[in-house]
Formats: sequence, structure tokens, C-alpha cells
Amino acid sequence: MFKTFFFSEIKTALKRPMIYIFFGLVSLMIFGATASDNIRIGGSVGNVLRNSPYVITNFVGIMSIFGLLMATAFFNNSALKDYNNNFNEILFTTPLSKAGYFFGRFFGALFLATLPMLGIFFGVILATFIAPMAGWEDAERFGSFYIETFINNYLLFILPNMFFAGTIIFALANKFKNTVISFVGALILIIGYIIAGTLISDIDNETIGALTDTFGVRTYAIVSKYFTAIEKNTLSPTFSGLLLWNRIIWLTLGSGVLILSFFNFSFQQKNKKVKKQKEVKDTKAQIFSLPKLNTSYSKKTDWLQFKSFFITNFLSISKSITFKILFLFSAIILISSLIGGFEYFGLQSYPLTYKLIDTIQNSTIIYLVVILVFFSGELIWRDRQNKINEVIDATPHNSFISLSAKALSLVAVTSFLNLFFIFIAVIYQLINGYTRIEFNVYLLDFIYGNLPLFIIWSGVMILIQVLLNNKYVGYFVSILIIFVWSIMLTIFDVSSKMLTIGSTPSIRYSDMNSFGPGLHGALWFNAYWILFSLITVLFAGALWNRGIITSLKSRIKIAKKQVPKSYKFVMLGTVVIWFLTAGFVYYNTQILNPYKTSDVREKLMADFEKKYKKYEKVKLPKITDAKYFIDIFPNKRDVYVKTKLKLTNETNSKIDSLHFVIDEDWQPEFKIPNAKLVLNDEEFGYLIYKLKTPLDTNETIDIEIDTKYITKGFTNGTGNTNIVQNGTFINNFDVLPSLGYNQRMEISDKNTRKKYDLKPKKRMPKLEENCTKNCMGNYLTNGSSDYINVETVISTSKDQIAIAPGSLIKKWEEKGRNYFKYKVDTPSQNFFSFISAKFEIAKRKWKDVDIEVYYDKKHSVNIEMMLDAVQRSLEYYTKNFGPYYHKQVRIIEFPRYATFAQAFPGTMPYSESFGFVTNLEDETDNNVIDAVIAHEMAHQWWAHQVVGATMQGSTMFSESFAEYSSLMVMKSITPNPMKMRKFLKYDHDRYLRGRSTETEKELPLYKVENQGYIHYGKGSLILYALQDYIGEDKVNTAMRNFLNEYKYKKPPYPTSLDFLRHLEPQVPDSMKYLITDWFKEITLYDNRLKDATYEKLENGKYLVSMDVEASKIKADSIGNETKIEPNDWIDIGVFKGKDEEELMYQKRVKINKEKMTFTFEVDTIPAKAAIDPRMLLIDRIYSDNSKTVSEK
Amino acid sequence: MNKLIISNLNKTYPNGVKALDNVSIEIENGMFGLLGPNGAGKSTLMRTLATLQEADSGTAFLDELDIIKHPTELRKVLGYLPQEFGVYPKITAEQILNHLSVLKGITNTKERKELVKYLLNKVNLYDKRKKSVKGFSGGMKQRIGIAQALIGNPKLIIVDEPTAGLDPGERNRFYNLLAELGEEVIVILSTHIVDDVRELCTKMAIMDEGRIVYHGSPQNAINELNNKVYEKMISREELEEYNKTYSVISNKMVGGKPLIHILSDENPKNGFQLVSPDLEDVFFTKTNIANLKINNHV
Repeated sequence: MFKTFFFSEIKTALKRPMIYIFFGLVSLMIFGATASDNIRIGGSVGNVLRNSPYVITNFVGIMSIFGLLMATAFFNNSALKDYNNNFNEILFTTPLSKAGYFFGRFFGALFLATLPMLGIFFGVILATFIAPMAGWEDAERFGSFYIETFINNYLLFILPNMFFAGTIIFALANKFKNTVISFVGALILIIGYIIAGTLISDIDNETIGALTDTFGVRTYAIVSKYFTAIEKNTLSPTFSGLLLWNRIIWLTLGSGVLILSFFNFSFQQKNKKVKKQKEVKDTKAQIFSLPKLNTSYSKKTDWLQFKSFFITNFLSISKSITFKILFLFSAIILISSLIGGFEYFGLQSYPLTYKLIDTIQNSTIIYLVVILVFFSGELIWRDRQNKINEVIDATPHNSFISLSAKALSLVAVTSFLNLFFIFIAVIYQLINGYTRIEFNVYLLDFIYGNLPLFIIWSGVMILIQVLLNNKYVGYFVSILIIFVWSIMLTIFDVSSKMLTIGSTPSIRYSDMNSFGPGLHGALWFNAYWILFSLITVLFAGALWNRGIITSLKSRIKIAKKQVPKSYKFVMLGTVVIWFLTAGFVYYNTQILNPYKTSDVREKLMADFEKKYKKYEKVKLPKITDAKYFIDIFPNKRDVYVKTKLKLTNETNSKIDSLHFVIDEDWQPEFKIPNAKLVLNDEEFGYLIYKLKTPLDTNETIDIEIDTKYITKGFTNGTGNTNIVQNGTFINNFDVLPSLGYNQRMEISDKNTRKKYDLKPKKRMPKLEENCTKNCMGNYLTNGSSDYINVETVISTSKDQIAIAPGSLIKKWEEKGRNYFKYKVDTPSQNFFSFISAKFEIAKRKWKDVDIEVYYDKKHSVNIEMMLDAVQRSLEYYTKNFGPYYHKQVRIIEFPRYATFAQAFPGTMPYSESFGFVTNLEDETDNNVIDAVIAHEMAHQWWAHQVVGATMQGSTMFSESFAEYSSLMVMKSITPNPMKMRKFLKYDHDRYLRGRSTETEKELPLYKVENQGYIHYGKGSLILYALQDYIGEDKVNTAMRNFLNEYKYKKPPYPTSLDFLRHLEPQVPDSMKYLITDWFKEITLYDNRLKDATYEKLENGKYLVSMDVEASKIKADSIGNETKIEPNDWIDIGVFKGKDEEELMYQKRVKINKEKMTFTFEVDTIPAKAAIDPRMLLIDRIYSDNSKTVSEK
Repeated sequence: MNKLIISNLNKTYPNGVKALDNVSIEIENGMFGLLGPNGAGKSTLMRTLATLQEADSGTAFLDELDIIKHPTELRKVLGYLPQEFGVYPKITAEQILNHLSVLKGITNTKERKELVKYLLNKVNLYDKRKKSVKGFSGGMKQRIGIAQALIGNPKLIIVDEPTAGLDPGERNRFYNLLAELGEEVIVILSTHIVDDVRELCTKMAIMDEGRIVYHGSPQNAINELNNKVYEKMISREELEEYNKTYSVISNKMVGGKPLIHILSDENPKNGFQLVSPDLEDVFFTKTNIANLKINNHV
């Protein structure tokens, strides 16, 4: 019986086109993704091959989620086929077995549902053969296939995912017998899945995240997160570990659902429960008479009709089951993402209104769009479906009235939902005891953002439905327009928002700067699109099919005849206003503020390189003195800059010309004495001034460069977020043209470079020993200057404070504006920030240093902690590294358009979005603010006192040192060493994840090429471990000696080898191998604890015995690994409690065999034992390093 | 006195079916019956008059009002019950009638309420006014349809197969209601139930293949057939033979045997009996033309 149904299910489906269409679609998408760069799914970057097992597995993961919609078709169809054809009554009265029928159908559908997924394999294989032949991609980007990639993917992902989803869909279909509910069920499964993933983002609950992942996609991501390129290219997913457990969990759950559904399934129609309705007894015999009726058709009638239409439509949406499901579900998702939501190092920010707005937007907008699409079709086709259309159509109302009421009811329903979400958010704020609830921000954000969006899409979708005259085609086209249209525009390199329906410059609320620079444009774009939407509804009203369905052509004919003049006049008027608005928007976004599309920009970069690379080595003078005169006009968002520079020829030959690369937004004017402009390439902004008398060695020339940034109208994008009404933050590289050809303007991606026939680019010049010639410029100023004196006169509006690095020399008011004069206390890097905003200032004096925090008055909560953090850093660094040369330390808040902190001389701008708003109430000793501030403070030594040449390894002694310093500051106030492990864990993760997504090659620390994961993640770990191994003072002495040799020195600048020279004498011979292993090579450890036992001794103590396994791995730059014999010192230890909070014993032991056993005595029974208990070594799987100790 | 003048209406569907073939009729106040077999073009004519469909050519005037050119104006004085009528689920009878009253221009809230109550009472649904229409039977839905066709002050009421699904009691109620109205306005009743027309209508037309094949009063039509209709019980095997020999206008089974009616100017003898013709005979005479023609040749 089972067989009959199983095979008949498959045979019927194979005779239908659906399965072939699905298979074709999947093949096509994957073919595209594999063969072309324009479609990106899966993540083949850099050295990862386009058809690697890793990429294929990602394809499978992603597609098997979206393939659920296809699967729904099969499962739903198989469950409802007989029912829908009214065949059930015939079939179910025959003597067939229920199990055979039920399971036969189910497994038939399951098999079918997996077939389209095979298109993934087909697509990849096809692309592998065709793409290199057709010349779309290099043959070297493809590798060989592994049969287990296909088999394991089918058995691990495709089959189980379809099974689990299938059980749910099949159960829903059998229960509700309603296709819509089945699809909504599938949709909820998908969307819920996607959003739920964001809840489990912190590394602490990774394992839970891996096991609870319904489709195993994130499980695979976690399993493979530290894969290097070579592993991604060769390893297929396997039946082991987390992945296997995950699959078992979900298969079991699915089976449960299936069995429940089977017992619930019956051939007989269930007796429906009859709700007892209250009998309303109208005993009063009433007599009704026909009232005298006065019909009238005026504007008031139109209004009443509109209202009546609106109410019936609104009711019909809000009472529908689909709506209720979506409503409930989106609310649940919102609530759960509110409750989850870790942000940074396991810390959460205060529930600021703008954060909640972001959360609402991210977790619910998709539902609102689904509601708009679904109900636009429902509303348009509702009358026909219910067969009341002819009656409605034959009443004397204008079609525009009924359609605009439909549009408005869509807007109302979605707005209602949105407002309800806001209500939930407010409740959340209150529950958390947060009372700065900004209703105005909630409301305005809604009015600026989502409300127009709802209006626009409602109108457009109604027109789509009216024009196409078929609900499902309408849905299809709507979805196409929403999701595919913008992709198409990207492919054709069109970035004007005037062509992407509903698109506006994005606005982002900031506590400092309110809705910010995007608002002006957003309002105009909204007007433009709302008018467009009005036009679509007007057209829909004219073309609305009353009565019998006819072709569009005949409807146009009828419309021409029947649409009244007044209506045509309104249409014309609206179109005219729309055109005027469009003209204005066009003028602002294309003529006043032209922009370059990404393809154009890319090509420009390539051409620039081809044309001017020849000037890269041209000898240029250095800036040896700078005076900035800056006038900021916050309200107009204009900045005027006058810069007086002294340029000195520090080369040993004559210099006869000055080269500049300008940014046209800043309209520079040059005042160079005795010079002639000999080249002015406007396309690329390359300028050459020829000096009448060449500059001799050490000769100086004074020049002036005046620049200005004038904000005009509004732009296609958000606009400049650095120059804003409150919180302008610019630096000297923004305001000044670049001196000479700048390598940073080159395309760096190797595949893009290939496209433009550019030679592969070296990320960094090679590390040189005894480097002089190539070490004359530092990487911070890109060789344009060394340590110089800088003065700044900066003015701003009366209500703002303007800040530049250096001591405040003078402050005055002039013409209703505030003026400030700053001068650096010691020659510094020409790396300057200029900031202006309304600030509160918190001050503290430490020795003779002024510590100042400039902050927005809403953000006062963490200020004391920031002052503490600065003070602690100063204490540690001055004690261990050397004096601080500025008279002030400033932390300055800037708006959240960017999330970082940055160190300028004595001055550290710090984004409002972290630190200032992070909730640190539960953190007693160390926290992220401390970490970030200590890091930036450390840069005052590492980067500002000593900085590296533009060369491999240089960021080690700025970024790694700063990160290490920051760890040491935290260590200095952390009584419990185990607490440091929490911080180190993030650095481990950063490094290991980083190397797994490396696009070119991983380098050892001393040759780091400005790779964040190495200089932050690995660098800090190594230095931290090193101070543990050789002693804090030894490492600090090496750093101090290095600093003393080079601080504030003229070039040549030091390299990482110079530091190693200072380090070596500090390292005892027994530990010398660490320099090689950690700095000069890529070394990983694979340590694990096999077994740990204890036994009570006669002296009352306990003998602990640990069996450990350890091996050392050397990796090359693309991730090829070689195991080598260990000969290392590694800690072993035992913990008092299961929480691993207290280390009761530890010992550093020599490990020179892969398997070793250690014993030692302790006073009390230990709970857990571990190898490398404080996580000092880089170990890909750290979780197997510890184990519960059992009694022997 | 209202007058509906239809002249030379034509409509051909894209598939070639001629639904209206030069239709011209004049209709005055009172009940007007439109008879015709399935596919005769009744619904097309009704929809055209209800402004829901465009005719290819021809005109239709309600008094001075050009229906084709000014559909909105006609809609103001139209009551229409289409052949298939449904209602929104999840909305009560009261709500739906109220909504339609607004659409028909009854702007005064008090009047509207009164009207809705009155109509609900008229169609015997007053007790169920607060119930969601979802649970209504087909007949109950049809009664709402009837109620809505009466909203406002229609001058022209078009009802297409209104009594389908009604039990005899409801049917009578409905006809009484129509008859009441019919004194002052034009009511066009399309049906294929011949008795309905006989009982209710003073004027009628029979349509077949898009043409008006008869137009006049039912009684006149019957009178035309006086002394021309004969009936006979025959056996089933004989039916073929009789069809060839006589102008058979109808045959129906009575007690398991065909009872045939034939049209004949003189007494055909052969066991035939003269019967007094009824409207059904008229209907079949007018619409079974093909059959009659063949027989006339014999």
C-alpha cells in the first residue's frame, strides 16, 4: 500500500512541469552564483575556490531554506490533492490502509521536494565546466569535486531539512486543508529562522545556537568558522560533532510531528464543534416602515463612500487568519529580538529609543512587506472572490474612491502594526527601568520612514494588481519589483534612487544630531514617491475593471470614454506636480550634487592608477609645519579651511614640482609662490605645480591651500555625515588634498584588478632589515610629514564648542561666533581631528594633565568611568612605558554614523553608539569602555610617539601594542586572572575567524600587512601570553627600550625587527623558541585533556592525575598545516568549581610528547582540570581543554 | 412613467458568439419578464443595462438618460441583483447593507439605519442582522441580494434569476415585494422559470441566440397559440418517429412516459388532444425554432 502511494505520488509529479521548472530555477541561480561575480551567494572570496566543498555546502544551506517554498508546494499538494478534487469521499470509502496512504504520500512528497535541490549540484558542475571555457572566470578559481560533498550534503542538509519542514507543512495541510495556511506556515518557518539567528549571536551561547538551528546552516557555519582557505577547499561536511547532534535532534522532532499528525489524521470528516450562539431574542414585534430617502451625490457622499469602503476593507484584513498569524508572529519575533540582542563583548546598550527603532525595523519590516503584497491582492480580488463585485460595480461610486480606500486600508493596517510595535518597544523600555522615552522620535521616524513606504507600496501594488488582472501574476510581479528590481539596477550600475520605487536617502537618528543629513533629501524623495503612488492609484481608478473582465486595451478605451473631465484634470494636475517634484529632486541629486556610480568609480580608480602610477616615486617635500584656520558653519553644514603649510625638501636632490591629488568636493585653491600650474587634470583631480626655482635640500617653501565644503541642496545618498549640524568631525586628510600620488586610491581586490588589466598589488612593501631608504615615511601620514608643530584656529557657531588637538591657547567670541586657538604641546604627527558640537565637559586633573570628556548632555551616565579609565591608562603607561607629552587627554563624542574610536594627538573622538550608551551597571571591574579607552590611550605612545615605516610588520607596534597595553591596564585592576580569559576569548575568536576569511595570505605577526585579525587579535594574545611566560616587566622593558630609541625621532622609522632586537635580550634562552613560534611563524596548538582523576592520600591531600594530549601545528600563508613534535611549556591546572572561576592550582610543565600524564597534590577536591587553563595559547578547539575531575 | 428604450444593441464576444443581435425593446413601468434558454444572451443584456459591460453598438436610454454614455448617472437609479451574488464573510448583514446604502448615496445616517432595518425585515432577516454572513445559507445570502437591490430609490431594477435557491415561501414573499415596487418603477426579471413570468409580469420578451424572438404580453402570446397545441402520451420508442412527423414543441415525462406537445394549425387526430396553451408552450414554440422549421417542411 505504501509503495503504491509513494510511487504514484512521484510518477504524477514527474509528468507535471512544476518539478522541472523548480529544478531549472535552482540550477540557474547556482550556475549564476558560481560562474559570475555579480550574483553572490555562499562566499567564495580570495583563495576559496568557487566550487569548493565549503561553498557548495553554503549553497545547499541557503537554498534548502528558500527551497522550502517549493517543498511546500509538494507537501501541500500531496496532502490536499484528493480533498481539493473532491475525490476524498470516494477514496476514503474504499478499504485502504491509513498508514500506507499517509506515509506513502508524505515520503513521496519528501523525495520530490529534494529533487529541485539537486539543481545546486547540477548548477555548480555546469558552471565549473562552462565558466572557464567562456572566459567568465579563471580556471584556477575552480577545483576538483569530491563525491562525499554531494552525498553528505544530500544526507546532512537537503533530506533532513525537507523532512523536518515537510512534517510541519504536511501536518498543517492535513489539519487546516488550506493552501494559504500551508504557505504562511512555510514562510513563518523561514522568516522566523532567519531572524531567530540574530538572537544567538554571542560566542558564549554558540553551542546552544548550533544545536537549536532548525536547518543546520548556522551549525555548519560554527563548525567551519575557523576553516582556512585550504580546508574550505577540501573538506566536506561530515557526520560528526555538533552537526550530527543537531541533525539527530531535528529528525527526532520532525518524526514526532509526523507521528502526531498521523494519529490526528482521519478519513472521516471530523465533527466540527458548534459554537453555541446566544439566542438574541427580539421578542418585540417591530414594525418598520420605509423611510423617505434622500439620495445625494456630492463631495460628502464621496467622503462617506470612501469611509465605508475603508472600514469594510480594514475589517476584512484585520479579521483574516493570515493577518492574525503574521501579526502574532512578528510581535513574537520583535519581543524575542528585544530580549536577546547582545551587542559588543557580551554587553548591552541602554534601550535607547533609536536602538529600539532599529530593532523594530530589522525584525519586522519583512512582515509588513509581506502583508502589503498579500493583502493588496486580497483586497483587489476580494469582491470577485465573494461574488459581490457586480453589485458593488453597479453602484454609483467613483472607482478611485474604492481603490484609494483599499490603498489606505493597507496603509492603515501596516501603520497600526507599526504603532503597535512601538508600543511593545515602549513597554520594553519601561520594564528595563529606562525612562527617557522619546515619543516624538518614534513618531517622527515613522512619519519620515515607514509611513511613506507603506503609502508608496500600497499604491504601486494596487496598480500592479489592477493592470495585470490576475492575482497570482500580480503577486509575482510585486515581489519581483520589491526584491529583484534593485538588484537589476545594481547589475546595470544605476544608483539613482529616483528609479528604485520607494527608495530615499536613509535617515538615522542620533541623539547628538537628530535625524541628520539624510532628512532633507528623504522628505523630498518621499514627496516624489507619494505623488507617484497617488498617480498609480489615479490610473488604477481609471482602469479599474468594473463588471466583466476585459483586456487592458479595451479598458483603456472605456476609460477614455467614461472617465470624467474633472478626473482627467486631477490626473493631469498630479502628474504635473509630480514632474515638478521630480525635476527638483533630479536637479538636487544629479546636477547640484552629482555622484559617480560604483562601476564608474572603479574604472576611474583603475585609469587613475594607469595614468599616474608613474609619479609614485616622485620626490616631494614634507610638511614641516602646519597652521589650520577652520570656520565651521553647523547650520548650513559648510566648512571653510585655510591652511598654511611649510614644505621642506628633506631629500638629497632638488625638487622642482609639487604634485597634488584633489577632492573636488573641497574646491581647493592653491597659493604657491613662484609656481606655475603645469598640469590640471580635472577628470582625475591631478595637479602639478612647477616651481620657478627648484627647492634645494633642506630648503623650505611656504604655501597656502584654501578649501571649502559647501553643502548644496540634498543628495542621492544620505550626504556627508562628517559635516553635520551637531557633531561635525573631520580630519586633516579630509580637508587637504593629498600630496602626490596616493597608493591608497588604488583598487586592492585582486580579482577586480585583473578585470582592469592591473598587475597584482602588494599590500605592503616587504619587511627590510637595516632599512633606511624605504623607511623615510611613516604609515600614519603616508610619508607626507613627520613630527611637526601644528596650530589651529577654529571657529563655530555660538552654541557649539570646536576642538582640535593641542592645548587651548585662547578662546574668544567674534561676530556672534566662538573662536578657539589650539597648539600642540610637543611636535606631533600631522594627524589631526577637528570637531564641533554642543558639548558638556567633564574634567579631572591627573598630575599636570587635564583629563576632559566632551559629551552630549543626554549621555552623562558613563562619564565618570571614562575619566577613571583614562586615569588608569595614564598611570600604567607612564609607569611602564614613559612620559606622556601632552598636557591634556580629551575624549570627544561624535554622532553614531560611524562606530569607532580613534586617537589623534592627545585627542580621542569616540562614537556615541558605544561606550556612551553601553549599560555597565552590572560590570564591576573591567568593561568595554575601559578596553577601548585604554587602547586609544595606548596609541598616544604606540603610534604617536613611535610609529612604523610603511612596511610589513609596522602595525604590530601600534595596534598590537595598544591592544596589549589595554589588556594590561585591565589586568592591573582585575584581581581574578580567570576574568581575563573572558577578554582573551574574544581576541581568540577574532584571530581565528579572521584567518578563515583571509582573501590573500596570512602572515606571521612580525610581517603583518595591516590585517586587523592579526595585529589586534593575534598580536594582543601573543604579547599577553609572552608577559605571562617571561614576565610583565621584561616585555614592558623591551617595549620601553624600543620606545626610547625611536620616540619622536626623525626618520628612518623603525620596523618590527627593531622591536625584536630589543625583545631578544629580555627572553631567557629556554623561551627563545617563542619568538620564532609566535612572532616569526604561524603556530597553532591542539591541546586536549583526555582524562583527569583524583584520589585521596593518607596525608589528607588529593593526588590529581591528568592525561593530556598536545600537538603543535605550523601553518603556511594559505592554511596548509604541518603537525610538529611539541617541545613547549604549557600550563596545567585545576579549578575549584565547575564554573572555572577560581584556579586553585597551576603548574607550567614541559610537554615534549604528544601524550603525557602529570600528577600533583592539592588540598581539596578539585571540580575541573584543564590544560592551558587561562587560554594563553591559540587553540582552535579550546572547549576540549578542560574536563570534570573524577574520583579514581 | 419611466421608459427604457433599447435600440439595436449588438455584442459579439471575442470567441465569435453573438450575445446580442440587434436587440431593440421598449420597457415601461411594471414587471417585465425576460425569458430565454441558457446562453440566449439574457445576462449579457442585463449586464449591459446595469453598466457592467460594453455593447459593441446600439443605444439604451432610460427616459432622457443615455445609459451607455453616462453609466454613473444610471447607477444612481439602478437596483441590480446579479445571477451570482455573494457577500463578504466576516461581515454582518447589517454592515453589508449599510455599506451598500452609502454607495448608493444615502448619506443621512438616520435614514440609512431605518432603511436597513426595513429591508432586513422585508427579507425576513431582521433577527439575524448581527450575525456574520459566513454562516448564512445560500437562500439567506440571496435574500440579502434582494434587499440590496431595493436600496435607494431605484427607477430601474434588474434582477437576474432571483429566486434560485429560495424556498417557495421566500419566493412568494419576494414576488410580492417586487410587485409592490413594480407599480412605480421598471423591474426587469430575467428567469427561465416560465411560471414566474406568468404570475408576475404584464410584459415580457423571449430571447434566443441573442435575438428577441417575442415581445409583448404573456397573455397575447398564449392567445396566439389558442387551438394550436395538442398533447399526447406516447412510449419512449415512438419519440423519434413523432419528432420527425410533428412539430414537437416539448416533451416531458409524466409517470415515466413522454408527454409531448405539438404545434398544429389543424387537429392532427391520431390520439392527440387539444389543450389550452400555457406560457411554457409559448416559450418552447419561440425557442425551439429549428425543430419547428424541419417539421413544417414535412
